Amino acid sequence: MAELLKGKPVVADMKEELSKKIEEFKSRGINPKLGVIRVGARPDDLYYEGSIKKTCGGIGLEFEVFEFPEDVKQEDFEKSLKDIVNSKDIHGILMFAPLPKHLDEPKIRALIPVEKDVDCLTIGSAGKVFADDPTGFPPCTPTACMEIINHYGIDLQGKHAVVLGRSLVVGKPMAVLLLRENATVTICHSRTKDLPEVCKEADILVAAVGQPRMVNADYVKEGQVVIDVGINEDPDNPGKFCGDVDTQSVEPLVDKLAPSPGGVGGVTTVVLAKHVVKACEMQTT
Amino acid sequence: MTAEIVKGTEVAAAMKEEISLEMERLKEETGGGVPGLAIILVGDNPVSKINVNNIEKTAQELEFNPEVCRLPPETTEEELIQLIENFNHNKGIHGIVVQLPLPYHIDDKVILEAVLPEKDVEGLHSINKGRMLISFTPFLPCTPYACLKILEYINFDIEGKRGVVVGRSNNVGKPIAMQLLQKNVTVTICHSHTVNPAEVCRKADFLVVAVGRPELVKKDWVKPGGVVIDVGVNKVGEKVIGDVDFEEVSRVASYITPVPGGLGPVTTYTLMLNTLHSFKVVNDLA
Repeated sequence: MAELLKGKPVVADMKEELSKKIEEFKSRGINPKLGVIRVGARPDDLYYEGSIKKTCGGIGLEFEVFEFPEDVKQEDFEKSLKDIVNSKDIHGILMFAPLPKHLDEPKIRALIPVEKDVDCLTIGSAGKVFADDPTGFPPCTPTACMEIINHYGIDLQGKHAVVLGRSLVVGKPMAVLLLRENATVTICHSRTKDLPEVCKEADILVAAVGQPRMVNADYVKEGQVVIDVGINEDPDNPGKFCGDVDTQSVEPLVDKLAPSPGGVGGVTTVVLAKHVVKACEMQTT
Repeated sequence: MTAEIVKGTEVAAAMKEEISLEMERLKEETGGGVPGLAIILVGDNPVSKINVNNIEKTAQELEFNPEVCRLPPETTEEELIQLIENFNHNKGIHGIVVQLPLPYHIDDKVILEAVLPEKDVEGLHSINKGRMLISFTPFLPCTPYACLKILEYINFDIEGKRGVVVGRSNNVGKPIAMQLLQKNVTVTICHSHTVNPAEVCRKADFLVVAVGRPELVKKDWVKPGGVVIDVGVNKVGEKVIGDVDFEEVSRVASYITPVPGGLGPVTTYTLMLNTLHSFKVVNDLA
């Protein structure tokens, strides 16, 4: 049976460290703060917002939501956003995407200063991530995978990591982060021939395709570490979520498994907080 | 099996024809406007000089308007930035090339960031790298672009194939990997820390090698019938050789690019394609 790489202990350790840092800041009269921009009230966004709020509350990180009506005008939105992002009191910005269709999203994203862009919403941040410049924040989800990998002492050096999925928010940046740790990286996707065979080549398999329970026993082999990034509506249990990995069939085979739910997902919001603290550090020193 | 040797000059000739035809067509639509390309050389590195002359000559042959600035080695960073600023504002200039390496007292990174991303036809600005990662870049860096052009020239359909990129540099390895993903390739990136690279590379339907290690890739790295593109340019004594052991590998591969004479000539033309693209964007013809 696989060792389960649960998110909780990772979250606990990270929170402890962050709390200390935030306290230190506060003792110097600096109040690290995250600004969350939400247009409309999509249930997914509200759910994520709730967990961010909980995380921030737990570690004393200041947090403010800036809410805009669904039909906000481009001009008005730009104007308010500029004020928010340029406020000295706010060190990190998260904006829920996608924005409503009538808004020019690339133009709006570009208003976020790279040094406050804690979830890699801007092309400027992505350029830094691509070029391994540590002042650019990678998206939170692939960073959360790395936190799990580090926490459980999984060695990447020279190992073959296979990333299943090539999305802009997970797959591609994940590949860049794994390369930084000297892993050999393969990125495969829906057009890959013999997908299960390619996945079996992995020492570490990261599943980020958004297909409920797609990765089953055919995709894995003994000794592997499997990280499940997927969060899908469970087709068999309405109202519940499941990952990209079929835990029941994979768990008996592999060495280690970060399950979903219970793995990467919970770490993501703490990564966001960590980025805000780092952004605050960069902005105040 | 003996590999077919893909001659860069032949690929370049085909690209030249393609660009000339496009220029002919555009002439009517733009009322005689031509793509302007600024080329900046600082100092007198002999290889850089040859490269700049090459770019200038190619641009002239294509009836572009090249504007070459050959600056003394003592040029300051501020002077160089000012010059780039002028080109950024110049409406007749659609692309800016800064020949690297720059003299030691000038920071390459600062200079490359000074180029307007819309005129960054070498695809080296961080904004264009960011686009590569999270959206689409209008300017694929010239070397990776040349690799794609070579695959296209030999009619190698990369869709769904396995491609292995050896080397993870910011200007070659990573950009080509990202671009190949866009084209539905299953991509593996390996590098100096890869355990058993020969085995990893042997899985490839095509191999792109860009590590700067003379003749690193031997025949047991290549699947019989695989396509091999050698990006390496290594000076060993008086000779220039690639990252691939040409002699050995050409006995197992189906296609191979030689060094010199493979990628080099194609790269100059990808720069022209990027400049032409920028010209079209400015004229609403893209």
